[in-house]
Amino acid sequence: MIRKLSVVGRRIIQPDAAAKATGEALYASDITIPGMLIGKVLRSPYPHARIKRIDRSKAEKLPGVEAVITPEDTAQWKKFDRGLKDLPMIAGGYIVPPDEGILNERARHFGDAIAAVAAVNEHTAEEALELIEVEYEELSFVIDPEEAMKPGAPQISDFAEGNIGKHMSYPFAEGDVEKAFREADCIVEAAFGTTKQEHCTAETAAAVASLDISGRLTVWSQCQLAHMARREIAHIFNMPVHKVKIITPFIGGSFGQRGALCAEPVCIALALKTGKPVKLVYSREENFTALESRTGFKYNLRIGFKKDGTLTAMQIYMLGRLGGYMGCGPMASTVGMIFGLGHYRCPNRAGEADMVMTNTPMSGAFRGFGNPAIMWGIEQLVDEAAEKLGMDPIEIRLKNIKKAGELANMGLRLESTYLEECIKQGAEAIGWKEKQGKGKEGKIRRGVGMATMTHCSGAAPLYLDHSNASIKLNEDGSADLVVHPAPVGQHIWGALSQIAAEELGIQPEDINIVTGDTDVTLFEYGSDASRSTYAVGNATLIAARQAKEQILERAAKVLEVSPDELEISDRQISVRADQKKAISVAEVCYDAIYNFKGECLNISGKCSWESKWNSPPTGAFLAEVEVNTETGRVTVARLVTAMDCGKAINPMAVEGQLEGGMQQGIGYGLTEDYLINKDTGVVESVNYDSYKMPGILDMPETRVIIIDEPDPKGPFGAKGVGEPGMVGIAPAIANAIYDAIGVRIRDLPITPEKVLEALSDLRCK
Amino acid sequence: MMKQIAKFRVNERHYELSIEPHVLLVEVLRDELGLTGTKHSCEIGNCGACTVLVDGRPVLSCLTLALTVQGRNITTIEGLAQGTTLHPIQKAFVDHAAIQCGYCTPGMILSAKALLDKNLNPTEQELKQALSGNLCRCTGYVKIVDAVAAAAEVISKEAST
Repeated sequence: MIRKLSVVGRRIIQPDAAAKATGEALYASDITIPGMLIGKVLRSPYPHARIKRIDRSKAEKLPGVEAVITPEDTAQWKKFDRGLKDLPMIAGGYIVPPDEGILNERARHFGDAIAAVAAVNEHTAEEALELIEVEYEELSFVIDPEEAMKPGAPQISDFAEGNIGKHMSYPFAEGDVEKAFREADCIVEAAFGTTKQEHCTAETAAAVASLDISGRLTVWSQCQLAHMARREIAHIFNMPVHKVKIITPFIGGSFGQRGALCAEPVCIALALKTGKPVKLVYSREENFTALESRTGFKYNLRIGFKKDGTLTAMQIYMLGRLGGYMGCGPMASTVGMIFGLGHYRCPNRAGEADMVMTNTPMSGAFRGFGNPAIMWGIEQLVDEAAEKLGMDPIEIRLKNIKKAGELANMGLRLESTYLEECIKQGAEAIGWKEKQGKGKEGKIRRGVGMATMTHCSGAAPLYLDHSNASIKLNEDGSADLVVHPAPVGQHIWGALSQIAAEELGIQPEDINIVTGDTDVTLFEYGSDASRSTYAVGNATLIAARQAKEQILERAAKVLEVSPDELEISDRQISVRADQKKAISVAEVCYDAIYNFKGECLNISGKCSWESKWNSPPTGAFLAEVEVNTETGRVTVARLVTAMDCGKAINPMAVEGQLEGGMQQGIGYGLTEDYLINKDTGVVESVNYDSYKMPGILDMPETRVIIIDEPDPKGPFGAKGVGEPGMVGIAPAIANAIYDAIGVRIRDLPITPEKVLEALSDLRCK
Repeated sequence: MMKQIAKFRVNERHYELSIEPHVLLVEVLRDELGLTGTKHSCEIGNCGACTVLVDGRPVLSCLTLALTVQGRNITTIEGLAQGTTLHPIQKAFVDHAAIQCGYCTPGMILSAKALLDKNLNPTEQELKQALSGNLCRCTGYVKIVDAVAAAAEVISKEAST
């Protein structure tokens, strides 16, 4: 029976929106505790250097300074992997060596943490930093991963021979790739380059740490994975887990960057050293240099086709730049290969990657993880093949996309896919037939291009995808839902309220979200891999279902029918065959709590959810661009994103994710370039004047199409939609540029210089 | 540096503070007055998160020495709602889901207010120009444009009745 939905699918407003609109919402940077000190970090001005001597005596004497700490002080605590997903989380035994200290006596990148201070206010802390005398021994350094792999290159870590931090293989390799290429009618191949995109979160990294007299540590942490941050912090600082409490305040942007520990370790070290609460807020420059940003790749990609356009072989070798420590970077290659090589039906697939350590700031997870990087190449080569084979780019894609029932990118059965609808509706919206492949002339030339993608709804089966939810019904029929996804702006509280309310037959405004405190919330993997609506949503749905069963059972007794004769909606339980026989949810809940017949019960439900499935969202991206052939400037005129994200719990929130993805995709494609000086190793992109992220005037006309077909495994049919929005934007733009002027740019970002150079090469041919 | 007694008028309330001459307006608002709705983000006037209104005009509080705005009429995000009733621009941001992480929101709303106080019928280009100093990483600006346009209509209607 298809159930009529009354709450799911509605464009509700978010429960936390008013607090954000009025300035009431508190972020980590806003937290103040009586007696709180302000922390600051001294960072290496060199890409690679040994600390020969640190003299902190002058800084310590400055009035108002409470602590100055150096690597000597932090050596008592463990080194760590800031990415958090070490052994306990991953299937298949992928271990990142914990190679990063809280402070480091050998700086491995510009911006590496050397010393830290805590003082009564920010100005005093800044002054104290200047009084710390450090004598550095500069070491030879390496920025480029290819250089780093050569014999004689400076070695960055003891465990990484030849600076190869990790060699990664595509886990779903299949078939005989060499044979398939020998037998292919058409082979397209090229080298591609992608960049270290910075997250540019509006709020910089920040943490507050406070140790109470009983030895309990409270940390206000922005981490997307609060419970795993708690585990890791307890581990680093040699504390039992119950002595650590993580509070998740509002988080001012994340996009994967807060999937790792950021300001927490140094902040906690200062709090432990002083015995006082400490707040540490990173500067914008520290956000650029001391955190992980998107992993940059160079890769060689080869794809083989039969004459009729059937895709038969894919092969990739990726070289990724990790930076001075391992962090989350290595997985970007595997995840990229899983999504990229698993996107189309293809019987022969192989992929290898070397993830290389360099003296550069770290690499890690950023919306889409490795998916935007790999689709940048795949979607351009598929277009090239279409041209060689005399096919339309739409036709070649429709021929090779997977159908429901086939194996999806992570090796699990694809339960639903509406990519064909995405492609067709997206093409219609951009005016593909009228615009694509038409003769172009004049100074300003227009073109259209497309790209497609498949992503994920959670990390299963790669990671242990474990969420919990509990819900209790109050005496007036309202409910408290206890969950702990990270509130990074993705409207998750609203979505979970809708899921719980739909199941319980109440309204979203009847739900109070209890969250953000690891003392109260059950274990939660956290918010990444586009998993919160899917996994926390499924946990919420089942917890709500348990509570509903208790409600129906009690209502059945009162109404003298059996529970399966009842239906629940609009805060009422009624007999299906006789709607006049009804009782309100509130009456049942009140009677359960204040029950003088010896049957007291707080109606409640609890679910420990472990995702066994993964329902990949699929989508098509279409771009229309204008290229100025005299200046090389590319202007995106229109973008259309058509997304199969299952049933949209709140279409307005889904649109917001996809529109935000467009901004990040345009930046990735055209303007965002993380610059490091090759001669000095100094990071040159440290703020928005040296790193161009798109503003409101850079946005084109946009349109979002939601296919809105339910998936069998998602809560009320929902799939994840947090990351997909930016995945295909850059290749769609590149394909549109080719349509406009006939040149291919394979190295991100697409700058006017590269366009002009390519045009000049074209004329010389 | 010698502290000075300075008088400020913020959200129609009067404050007298002893501050050093180098202190920035954003620091006074956040650290001295506890008005943390004004956000500190890029620190160099690039992003607009710290925008407040001084005599109705948008000002970057991270680039403004506090002493230079003594006695002026300063409005922060905390000064917009009447009790629990949101200002129409705030309400439009809430209703249109123009808020995701929310960190750029106060500055964005105040820039929008400066525009609509002068011009209740902005073209889309005028609207975008007015917000072009405010960066957002979450929304792609689409729903922000919708919200400000909707707020302009609501305020116009209120003014004409």
